[in-house]
This record gives sequence, C-alpha cells and structure tokens, in this order.
Amino acid sequence: MAEKRYKKLKTAVELQRLMQWHYASARYLRLGRPLAWVTSGAPVEILRAMGIAVLYPENYAALCAARQPAPTLCQVAEARGYSQDLCSYARTDLGSAFDPAYAPMQGLPKPDLLIACNNICGTVVKWYEAMAGYYNVPLFVLDTPFIHDQVQESMLSYVAAQLEELVRFVERATGHRLDMARLSEAVRVANETTALWGEIRALCKSRPSPLNAPDLFVNMAPIVVLRGSHSALRFYRNLKAEVEERVRRGVGAIPEEKYRLLWDNIAIWHHLYRFYNYFADCDACFVVDTYTGGWSQTLPEGEPLSGIAAAYATVFLNSSLQYRVECMVRLIQEYGVDGFVMHCNRSCKPYSLGQYAMRRAVMERTGVPGLLIESDMCDARSYAEEPIRTRIQAFMESLAARA
Amino acid sequence: MTSTSQAGTSGPCFLGIDIGSLTVKSVLLDSQEHLLGRGVAPAGYGGQEAAAELVAQVLREAHAGDSVAYAVVTGYGRVLFRTADEEMSEISCHARGAFHLCPKVRTVIDIGGQDSKAIRLDANGRVVDFAMNDKCAAGTGRFLEVMAAALGLPVAEFGRLALQSQHPVSISSTCTVFAESEAISHMARGVAKQDVAAGLHRAIASRVLGLAARVGLEPEVMLTGGVALNRGLVLALEGLSGQRVTVADDPQVVGALGAALYALHKGRR
Repeated sequence: MAEKRYKKLKTAVELQRLMQWHYASARYLRLGRPLAWVTSGAPVEILRAMGIAVLYPENYAALCAARQPAPTLCQVAEARGYSQDLCSYARTDLGSAFDPAYAPMQGLPKPDLLIACNNICGTVVKWYEAMAGYYNVPLFVLDTPFIHDQVQESMLSYVAAQLEELVRFVERATGHRLDMARLSEAVRVANETTALWGEIRALCKSRPSPLNAPDLFVNMAPIVVLRGSHSALRFYRNLKAEVEERVRRGVGAIPEEKYRLLWDNIAIWHHLYRFYNYFADCDACFVVDTYTGGWSQTLPEGEPLSGIAAAYATVFLNSSLQYRVECMVRLIQEYGVDGFVMHCNRSCKPYSLGQYAMRRAVMERTGVPGLLIESDMCDARSYAEEPIRTRIQAFMESLAARA
Repeated sequence: MTSTSQAGTSGPCFLGIDIGSLTVKSVLLDSQEHLLGRGVAPAGYGGQEAAAELVAQVLREAHAGDSVAYAVVTGYGRVLFRTADEEMSEISCHARGAFHLCPKVRTVIDIGGQDSKAIRLDANGRVVDFAMNDKCAAGTGRFLEVMAAALGLPVAEFGRLALQSQHPVSISSTCTVFAESEAISHMARGVAKQDVAAGLHRAIASRVLGLAARVGLEPEVMLTGGVALNRGLVLALEGLSGQRVTVADDPQVVGALGAALYALHKGRR
C-alpha cells in the first residue's frame, strides 16, 4: 500500500527491462565473452573496451536485499564461518555462491576473472580473495591509496601503472587485447552517461524536487552496472526527459514537499519504500544524497588510462572525513536542505566510521540539524522498526518546531 | 510542578498519556496548566489496557468526567492508542515537560525502560539536538532491572545498596547479558554485593554520559524517567560527569506531563 502513494516514473518499465536484460545476457547471451565480477569502483571502461562481460556482486546483493532473501544468504555465509560483522554485501554474495538454491536467479553465473578496487573499502580485497579461492579463478586487486588531504601526483602515477598491469592481466586471463579506439569510445559513452546522471540529480534543486531518495537509489543501477554502454546512455536520456517534464509541470516526487532532506550512506535496500515513506508522511523529501553522486564524476580528457586513474583514485569514499564534510555542506547549500539523515550502516565501515564527528561538523557549519539512524544496507536483521520510527518522528517534530 | 488545583474540574481538561514498555503514566491538566491528576501503573501486556484503566482512574479521581478537550499520547504504545487525538514522540514530550518544570534546563537525560535519551534544549525550550541509545539495552531501565534480579534485590534496594560501596568493581561490558555474567562471576569470587551494585551503576552512568556527550552536556542537566528515583545512579552520574544533576519532581510522569502540555496547546487552538 505504501508503494502506491509513490509517484512511479514512466521509465520504471524500461529500467526493469534493462536490468533483467543485464542479468539474463550475462548468463545466456555472452557470445563467447569472458565474464568478470567487479567491485562498484572498478574501472569498467577498460573491460568494455576489451570485450569482457561484467557483473557487479554489490548490485546483486542489493537486489537480494530488496527481494528479501539477503538475511538467509547471510546466514548461509555465517554458517560457513564468516562473521556477522562482515559487510552484508559480502555475506549475501558468498551465501549465494555457497547455496544458490536460496538465491534470486539461482545466483550469479560463475566468473572467469575477478577485479577488486579498494577505493570503496578494504573488505573487497579479502572478499574477492575468498571468491577467487572458491571459484579457482584469477583475481586482480587495484590499489588506490587513501587521500588523507591532497591528491599527490605519485598516487595517480601509481594507480595508472597498475591499470597497465590490469590490461596485461586481462589479456593473460582471457586472450582479449585492448583496442585503444574502443577504449576512447567506452570513455566517451561513459562520460556522456555520467554527465546525464549528474544533470538528473541537479534537477532536484527545483522546488518541489522531482525525485526522492528511492527514485535516485533505484535509478542508479544502470550507471553502476552498465556505465559505458549504449543501452545505459539511452535510458538516462529518457529518464532525464521525464524528470525535466516533472520540473516543467511543477510535479514533485511526494504529494507535498515541506522539508528538503539530504541522505548520507548506502540505501536501506530491504525497507526502501517503507522507510522513506515515514519521511514522505511528514512531507519530507530527500532531494540529494552523498551515495548516488559517486557515479556522476566524468573521466578527465586526454590519455585514457591516466584519466581513468585520476577518476577512480579520487572517489568520495577514498577521501578524508574533512573532504566529505565539505561535500555535505556544499550539497546542503546548493539544494536548499533543511535537515540531513545519516544511515549508520553496520555493514559499511568506511562510510559509517566518523559519522558522529561529521554530523557535528556539518551541523556547526550549516546550522542544519542531522539525525543518525542505525541499520544495515542488506541485513534486515539489523533494522529495528519501532526505535527507527521513534527517532524519525522526534526528528521531524524538531524540524517542524524550527519552522 | 504547578500546584495541584483544589478547585475541581469545571472547565475543559487536557490529558497526557505515556505508554512505556514497563509502565504507563498519565497526567491531567486544566487550561491554566494546573495539575488535576496523575497516575502510574505497570504496563502489562502491550500497555493499551493498562493505559485505558489508568486514564479512567485519573479522570475519576479528579472528578473530570468527560471534560477532556484534547489528549496526546507518547511512548512505545502510542501508535495503537486510538483514544488520544494525537501521538507525539517521547523526545518532544520529555523536553516539553522538563522545560515546564524548570526553564533553566538545557540538557534532559531520560532513562526509560527500553530507551535512554539525551536531549539538548535552547533557551526557548525547543529541541536543538537529541541522541538515543543504539540497539542495545545497556544504559536503560531494563538493564537495572535485570542486574537487580541478578543480585537478588528489588530495584529500589539495588540503588541504596550501591551507595554503601567503598570499592566499586569495574564492569567492562556494556551488553546487558555479558554484564550480568560479569557481575555473577564477581559475586562468585566473593566480592561484596554493594561493590558489584556500585560497579553496575557506574557502568550504566558511563554509558548514559557517553550518549549525552553526543549532544553536549550543557547545564542545567535534568534527569527524568523512573530511573531518576534511583539515588545510586544519580550520584554515579554526578560523580562521573562532575556536573550537578537535577532530578525532576515526580520524574516518572515528565513525559506524560509534556504530552498533556502539548494537548493543552493544541486543544486551545
């Protein structure tokens, strides 16, 4: 019932078809292409240019959470000795590999090679090592040094040198060679797509905002898993046209927008509509977030590999808390935000560590109040309905008292 | 609290109900914010029935009949209690109640059965910031109940005993279940009961102060909720924070008082 209150986008049908095609083609329509499993921050443009099919276990884990079996899959992994403190994306994926009977689509098709980039977290390194052992396939780890203050030239050349190694690794593992013309084309298409995604997000500066957090979370899937493909480009052109139409007609994502909020951290996939509807019930719309913006950064012009190195080494989660505070402050100002909500995500340590300090810093800088909600992106066992509802209600009452 | 009116209940009155996990509380006010009645009862199963009975009792004792103009309900049972006109969060209600009792209050610490909360107020009594305990019963009323039971004491006795300790033991775990095991192992080693009791009070106080630090412990600090009646805990809080902690008059009903004040404000409009 809650979902019905939600204004569905016309492009939702197209999105669903696109994602179904993505997963089905990786299993049934590979046409001899090798299959790589990669992390969300891996330089996929290189793989596209080398004719490698790509799947994202993180996206698949989110899908498992949205369709509910994630906690069961987590328990499968826990029964094999993986700690409940381990990231729930990792546990869900490992569980789906160990026991595909419980997994949507019977799990992901077996990979031929694995590529993990630690720009999003350190967990991916051990997680992918475990999978490499389980499937007995080669693994490449791309190491991006954490940016404590400024990006150093040495960091970028270090990452660029590894990208050349990555190319040789893929060549060795698959026999496919890198075609520079195809790489430039993949970068061009990826850039055009990420620019569109950035423009769609920026349209939410309008009042009322044409999109709410669940819209952003659901519609980010192609920018992650199909970045650099023509099908994703077509989808975002259509989505942008629809969002522009909402803005032109003054149509908001929720029936009445009184409060504009910012979201920090990964979505609560298992309670997506139910959770955000608690805010919608209080006329509050999430107009911007720190998560889906991670895929709106275009690759710099020039020599492709060094451009790719610069973009992937400098993602949001690979940067200091100070940088992230600056980002939040800027977004709060640009989007006219009245309050912010941080998801203290039990799974995602790099995203959640330091949130108390960040919350205080952002509140001091902007005067805008912030709420911390404890949950987990995939593992619904960490979601406590009543305490969460109480915190949201108290927060919204205090926002109303300010108005 | 505003003095109890003897004048009776000719005009409209305003009801606040707080349905907690352990107890239900109710406060009845007249349109001048005078207290007409109050009551506390065990919540029983779900609290709904107990709340209905308590409200009937408070109205009966105040001879208020059916003159309730507006009712606000708060606490965990609030969502299902249909008799009320409106539901509000405990944060807003405790803040409102505490500020009404003492306008100098800037930090409210409420230790309830399931939740502990720290609330920062501005000079107008508005909620500027708040923090609640994470998914864990440490630092709540339930923790004290479980620990008192582990020591084989009634809750009231538990706090008094802690005051007699000269050498409080250190309880390192903040988990209720693990802390209980820790306390039992201290007792098994022959540590005096009062020292274990005092150690447990310090553990809960340090947990609650950690929470309060998130919003800043600005004076004046007021403690509300049933746990405020535990003198051992109040002294542990003062000792660890180095700050004076005021205990609200009739601390258990501060949330219900706040709800009644909201009812008055909303019902008048």
